[in-house]
Formats: sequence, C-alpha cells, structure tokens
Amino acid sequence: MSRASSALASRVVSFLLVAPLALLLIAACAHAIKSASHFDAWNALWEAPGLLRAIGMTLWTGLVSSLLAWHLTAWLLSKAFGQPWWHRFVRSLSPLLATPHAAFAVGLVFLIAPSGWLFRAVSPWLTGWTLPPQIATSQDAYGLGFIAMLVFKEVPFLLWAAATQLQRDDAGARWQREMWAAQTLGYSRAQAFWRVLWPQLSLRMVWPMLAVLAYSLTVVDAALIAGPGSPATLSVRAWQWLQDSDETSNAVGAAAGWLLTALVALSAPLVWRKRFGQHHSGYRAAESAMGAWNAGRMAWLGFLAVYASVLLALAVGSISGVWPFPSLLPNNLSWDAWRSVMSSSESIGMTVSLAMASSVLSLIWTIAWLETAPPRWDAALRPLLYLPLLLPGVLWLVGIHRLALVGGLAGSWFGVLFAHVLAVLPYTLIALSPAYLGFDARYQYVSTTLGKSRWAYLGQIKWPLLRQSLWSTAAVGFAVSVAQFLPTLYIGEGRIVTVTTEAVTLSSGGQRSLVAAFAWLQWLLPALAFGAAAWLGQPRRWASQAIQPLHLPP
Amino acid sequence: MKIEVKQLSVGSGSSQRVLVQNLALKCPPGSITTLMGPSGCGKSSLLAAIAGLPLPGLHAVLTVELAGRHVEQLPTSQRRIGLLFQDDLLFAHMTVIENLLFACPPGTPAERAAQADAALAELGFEDMASRNPLTLSGGQRARVSLMRTLLAKPQALLLDEPFSKLDVALREQFRQFVFAHVRRLQLPTLLVTHDAADIADPTAVIDFEVLTN
Repeated sequence: MSRASSALASRVVSFLLVAPLALLLIAACAHAIKSASHFDAWNALWEAPGLLRAIGMTLWTGLVSSLLAWHLTAWLLSKAFGQPWWHRFVRSLSPLLATPHAAFAVGLVFLIAPSGWLFRAVSPWLTGWTLPPQIATSQDAYGLGFIAMLVFKEVPFLLWAAATQLQRDDAGARWQREMWAAQTLGYSRAQAFWRVLWPQLSLRMVWPMLAVLAYSLTVVDAALIAGPGSPATLSVRAWQWLQDSDETSNAVGAAAGWLLTALVALSAPLVWRKRFGQHHSGYRAAESAMGAWNAGRMAWLGFLAVYASVLLALAVGSISGVWPFPSLLPNNLSWDAWRSVMSSSESIGMTVSLAMASSVLSLIWTIAWLETAPPRWDAALRPLLYLPLLLPGVLWLVGIHRLALVGGLAGSWFGVLFAHVLAVLPYTLIALSPAYLGFDARYQYVSTTLGKSRWAYLGQIKWPLLRQSLWSTAAVGFAVSVAQFLPTLYIGEGRIVTVTTEAVTLSSGGQRSLVAAFAWLQWLLPALAFGAAAWLGQPRRWASQAIQPLHLPP
Repeated sequence: MKIEVKQLSVGSGSSQRVLVQNLALKCPPGSITTLMGPSGCGKSSLLAAIAGLPLPGLHAVLTVELAGRHVEQLPTSQRRIGLLFQDDLLFAHMTVIENLLFACPPGTPAERAAQADAALAELGFEDMASRNPLTLSGGQRARVSLMRTLLAKPQALLLDEPFSKLDVALREQFRQFVFAHVRRLQLPTLLVTHDAADIADPTAVIDFEVLTN
C-alpha cells in the first residue's frame, strides 16, 4: 500500500471511529439544551430556596479540594520523582485508584463519624465520652469531610496521570537527565524539579487537572454520602430535581446541570493559572536530600495509612454485629451482610459484565484512534472526546437518556453499557495516550526495513512492548465502569443494579454492615482487575543473566 | 546503488527549509560512502528519505536505484535497505535469538532457526540465545543489531552514526566488524558520522557543509 493510500485509509478509519461518537455527544448535548430551554425552568431554578448557598457550597468544596489536590500532588511528585522509592510509589497507586469515590466516602464516614473508629480510639480514656458526641464530622455544614474525601481520592488520580507522563519513553528519561543537568549547574534537587520538570509536566497535566476540577464541582454519588446536607451541593440538588417524576422539576434539574457547566467553565481558568504559575510559587527552598526523602516518604506513607484505615473500617464494618460506643471492636461478628451480598449475585455479575465489556470496547476504540488518527485530528477532537469527563454527569446523562429512549435502549444492559463506554473512554484515552504516543517510532522503522507489515509490527513489537500500559489502561477502564452511579441508575432506569448503585442507595439507610459490604466489594472488584493487569502486564521473566565478557568473532 | 536527490527539505509552508538540492551519489557494491557535516544539515534526513521512512515534515524528491531497479516508489518494507541507528533498538521483550528470528525472511521454522543460529554462531554468542538483550553489553548489543539487519538480506545498508555511542575501544572493534561484513556481502553502504576516524574510504566522503554552502 502506498503512503498516500495508507494515510487515506487511516483518515477513513479515524473518521468512522469518531463520527458516531461525536454525533452522539452532540445529540446528547442538544437534548440537554432542549430539556432546559424553558424560561419557566430557569425562573424556577433562580427562585429555588437556598440556590445561592448551594452554589457557594459547590464552589467552596470543589475549588478548595481541587487546589489542595493539585498542590499536594505537585509536592509529592517533587519529593518522589527520581528517588529510589519512585517505582514502589507508582506501584502503590493501583489499589488507591481501584477505590471508587463512593466506597471511599462510605469508609471515611465509618472512620470519622461521631461513632466512627477515630473517636472510639480516643474514647473514653482521652475524651471521656461514653456516647457518640453530637458533632457533625462527615456531612458537616462546612463540607470539610467532603473536601477531605475529594482530596484523598483525587491525589492518586493526578499522581497516576503524572506518572504516565514521567514514564514515557520519550519524555521521562529526558526530564530525568535535564534534572541532573540542572543539578550540575548548582540547583538543588527541589529547585531542579520546580524550574525544569514541573513547567514541562504541568503542560501535559491540563486535562487531568480539568477533569478533577469538573468532577469535584459536579460529583453526585460521593456527595450524597459524605457531602454537606444543608445546604447540599448544586449537583445533588440537580440530581434530586431530575429524579422527580414531575417533568417541570426535571427541566429545573437540566437547567441546574447547565448552571453547573457554567461554574466549571468559569473555574477552568484556574487550571491555566496553576499550570503557568506553579513554578513561581514558594517551593524553592533548598533542602537536604535526606530531608526531602523523609518528608515526602512519610507523607505518602500517611496517605497510604488513611486508605488502609478506610478499607479496614469497611471490612470490619461489614462483619460487625452489636458494636456499642466506645468499644474499639464489635462485641460479636456477623456474616449476615455478606450473605445478603452473595444472595444478590446478579448485581455482582452485572457489575463485572458491564465493566469488562466497557473497558474492552473502550480500549479497542482508544488503540484504534491512537493508531490511526492524524495528530491534528487528535488535538482538535480531544475536547469533544473528553466531554463526558468535563460536563456534569447530571447534564450529559439527560441527553443520553433521551437518546436511549429513542433507540429503545433505556433500561437495558446495552443502554447502560453504551453510557459506561462514553464515561470510560476519556479515562482510557488519558491513560494510554502518553505511552502510546511516546512509543519510540524508530522501532517501526527497524521493523519496516526488515520487511515486516504494519500488523506484524503491531502484533509482535509495539503491543507486546506496551503490554503493561495496555493492561493497566484496561484496569482503569474497569475501575471507572464499576464506579459509575449516575449512568447506571439513569440509563438503567432502576432495572440495572450494580454494587455501586446498591452501595449508594443503601448509604442513606441504617444498614451499616450491608453498605460496608457493598462498598468493600466496590473496591475489591477493581482491585482484582488492577492485580490481574499487573500480573498480565509484567515484563517478560528472564533467567539469571550476568553480563558476560565480550567474545569477539574470529 | 545510485541516488539522485532533486530536493530534500523539512518543514511546511513558509517554514520549509531546503536541506539538499541536486545531489547525485553512486555507491558501488562493497563501498562505504561517508556523509559528514554539522548537526541539522540533513545527513540523517537523507538516509531516512532513501529508506522511505515517514519522518514528520520531511519532503524528498529523489530517485534510488538499487541492483538495477528503482525503489523510491516502494514502501520501506519492500526496498530491502537495511538501516542501523545510533541506538541498537533491540526489542526488549524478545530474547536475542527471537530478535534475530524476527528479521529472518519467510521460510520454514527450521530454515529460519538455522539462519538465526548461524548468525549467533558467527557472533560467537551461542550461549546467549535466550538472553534478555538488555543484559548484554553495549558492544554485544550493537553486534546483534547489525546481525539482525543483515539477516533480512538487505541490498544496501544505511548507517546512522552506529558507532557514536560506543566507547573508543569497542568503537574501533565494531567499526571493523561492520566494514568487514559490508565488504564480504558487497553491500553499497552510506555512513553518517561526525568522527573522521569512521571514514572507510577517504575518496568517498561527502561533506554536507560544503554541499549546502
């Protein structure tokens, strides 16, 4: 095939890949616009009691958590990158990424609630309390517990997004050498990071940072569990309006969705400001290598300890029987919750089938896109492909639901799969792009000059060498699908039940053990996927091979 | 191998920069023509254009005649022009022998295995067949890389600074190793280098600085 016809074929494939997706997303947005196009809906929205307080709470929790997450991520990177523990640090992200927001929120509430483990640990010997104190620690009026939850969840995502860039063939090694070069010019390691590496890395972190901002401003499931109740965030209010059986309320919900979109759009310039401004901030203090090692590593160990505590709280909570305050451990254990979970094996099967199908489809689509899309197309269409990540879930799902109704897919497995694929695709694109686009093109040159076809190159060279990235991308897709609450509930119309919809729905009730069991399962399924991905993606094992002396041919 | 370059340029639109114009080269079998000159003057781009590699922004109007036939319209995989880079680019997920097998022309498994084994034996690396290529020394990797290129039975060879990353002692050994193979196989060869010590034939040197000026 000549180069011209090969380029044409690539363009045709790219068009066939992107056109249906673009049409669907545009149609979904058009439907969402139509739903909120009534003047009465906007009028009712402005007159809704507590709207301004809901907007204020949304901005407060969303912006503060995003800023804290960005700063903490950058600080941790400055401490970890290039250190001997960097690879262990990156590996430790998988179980954290596997934890869905809702599961973490449930676990955090178990930990910091007035009757939670933290207060039990210091009662009554330190506090004197024999009953849970009457203070709001989660769902507090200032949204502090919610902010903490968001920060703990978003930092691993941002670190992972940075790690995918730092481990690129073309960039990571070069940045490491540039940092060494800066250090030979008299800069400390920290200075080299902030002056040399961060300005380059942060340019490539714009989309993940925007995703974090949009998520923090618009999340519903975790806000229902750990978010403030009075006032609730705007996304929760929008969700409540959309859940109403009254169409007028639905229109108000759609209008609230657009208002949330406006809040995201107005806050987005912050990302650009952080992108360019970070290296001018006050991180330049020189520090000893030992000090940097300790501070960063201790902070990260503390971070891991919080996750371990949350998961332990969920595990113990799921088997706790009678557990009076302030006992540190339950008086007796009960497996009733797990028996209930196992009896609803349909929800587990549904979760796994949706997650596997959506991650595989998204991965195939992503590979095909990265392999064929001309760079200009890719750059121009990324914002469109990332729309499900940037638009509030309550908004784009209104449009997708309408499309599913038209297509007869509402309430069906395929309809929910379709919504999951749309939600998973941006993540698989973010996950795979750095490794895929950074792959050393000279391997293809070598393969081609050896007379091999493109498929031989892909099947025998590129994909095997990218095995780790491909499997971890599939695991990320799996985890994102498992965590989907709104698409499952909305497109599934209550007929499709997954462990996430069970966990979130039950969280407002009193069945603590059952909630904990479902939340733990919510973590376990993606964790197994990440474990399998790590095993399948591990580099080829080699027999012991000491470097041998060179034997020259005769 | 005969090469006639009408124009070689990089970039697009107004930022397009002409690297080489009206250059004619003739490389007889077994000869090694050396291309020298400062970085960025187009030496490596010329090799890429001869091999037909799709380097971004590279525009080439040239003819390449190899063993009596024009190959410039053929895709890279059919030109039968071997290329060695500065880095060995051995595939890290394959053993040494698998790297060699990858380059063997189609045939029965036994035939291909015999070719790869013979190449290993020629290198004296029989005991390294199942080794991870990353555990070989730089000199060993360079030899395997050359052998892999030769196993594909190229009709010409392009060398893009293949000695530059080796230390001085290894460099001389590997240089002689490559030149010996080029002469034995009677391959017309173009060598890009910055090091005058790499020149195989002082009468076959093209200085790109002079050329572009």
